Amino acid sequence: MKRYELLPCYISVETGFESANDMRSFDPLAHRLADGDLDAPRELVERHHAELYRYALALLRDASSAEDIVQEAFERAFAALGKYPEDRIKALSLRPWLYRIALNVVRNTWRERRREVTVAETPEGTDGRLGVALGSAPGSARETWLDTLGALERLSERQRVAVALRYFEDLPYAEIAEVTGWPENTCKTLVRRGIGRLGVLLGEPDGIGGR
Amino acid sequence: MNYEESQRVGEETGDGGVADLLRESAPSLTPREDPNRLVERIVARGTDRMFSCDSPLGEIYVGVSDRGARLVGRADSPEQFALRYRERFGRFLSWGTDARTRRLAERTAAALAGQKTDVSVDLSETTSFQRRVLEVVMRIPRGEVRPYGWVAREAGSPKASRAVGSVMANNPVPLLIPCHRVVRNDGTTGRYAFGADEKVGLLEAEGVSVGELAGSPYLATPTTGIVCHTTCRTARRIRPENRRPFRSVKEATAAGYRPCQVCRPAVDAAIPEHGAAGR
Repeated sequence: MKRYELLPCYISVETGFESANDMRSFDPLAHRLADGDLDAPRELVERHHAELYRYALALLRDASSAEDIVQEAFERAFAALGKYPEDRIKALSLRPWLYRIALNVVRNTWRERRREVTVAETPEGTDGRLGVALGSAPGSARETWLDTLGALERLSERQRVAVALRYFEDLPYAEIAEVTGWPENTCKTLVRRGIGRLGVLLGEPDGIGGR
Repeated sequence: MNYEESQRVGEETGDGGVADLLRESAPSLTPREDPNRLVERIVARGTDRMFSCDSPLGEIYVGVSDRGARLVGRADSPEQFALRYRERFGRFLSWGTDARTRRLAERTAAALAGQKTDVSVDLSETTSFQRRVLEVVMRIPRGEVRPYGWVAREAGSPKASRAVGSVMANNPVPLLIPCHRVVRNDGTTGRYAFGADEKVGLLEAEGVSVGELAGSPYLATPTTGIVCHTTCRTARRIRPENRRPFRSVKEATAAGYRPCQVCRPAVDAAIPEHGAAGR
């Protein structure tokens, strides 16, 4: 039903993930995927699902949506890979490519939510949602987390994306630019402003930084 | 490089508190679900599954979609088979370690060993003609054969026996859809994707006497006045002294026999392969 949304995603996904390959480290998994290794698809999922989940959670603040995002992102990734010629698969930088796909899926969810919010006129951000997501975190860390993710949700979408990629996922700016399609300097500005805003939202940065 | 590093240092000193907090807490944001189950679910949705299996043709590989077996074949390696599958269907294959695929693997092995078992097949990528033909062929029982012309007529396209030949040649799931049981209209076995000799071997292993069939694809008996395909289960009950072999149904009907209602030999199947080919 939502299939019509796949096409633009595939097109946008294609740009720029192969060209700079010479400069990057060679990824044996991309080669094994290309060569038909039957263990490679599972390894791709094992290697990236946790970070994609974290990323989706940071952007959506909702555990079950985050799981759906990861699942759909991989589904789209495999569907796209299945249509790529071998050389193209080998040349992919899988990690930023997957973040890009996940970002596209998240953007669709944002769009749907905005639509729902407008229709239902519900106020944003019910805080109960995150409690389940952090089941494993110990008490105080958990509270800090709720605060942090709550604050993160109040950044602009662009700032949220940039901050999450930079500090949760530890991506260099070049790759953040690759994932988002924004110029590198824009990414830096977004991160700087996002972090500044987070500091304000969470009270004084000193209060937390003192730990 | 230097510029970027200094930028990063500036950032870290300026907003160390928030940035460190984000960094430190990232590892505690993990999925609620058991990771193995989540991974398995994602792999099952994103890829098709594969297993290998013993068969009368040696080890074969089977690629499975969520609808059923989609590609059956031999290959030098699992990787080679996975690439062929990807080229044909645009889907990745992963090892079918899940319970569903294991059950299908067991049923496939049983079916290939000659037991009566239903193995679901996925023909979604075939044209409607191909599907009609393959579904007709699927119903040819073990130990029996039918000519191309008969398959064409049963599939609703009586003149398409050559097209049936090419559907057989491209059968995605040989053995599961027994295209080896489709023979020439004169009763000779004809070609096979895995080699003509393999076809003869398979049929003999299933109890078809290939030699007898070659000269006489049809068999009639004066006791009932009926003409059958030679391998029809009713024809196999005809006593030796009553067996009347025929090269075509036309000759048999001319001699006063009527077509069997079980195997429905095609009256107008006049060995078009040799005639039409002009060989």
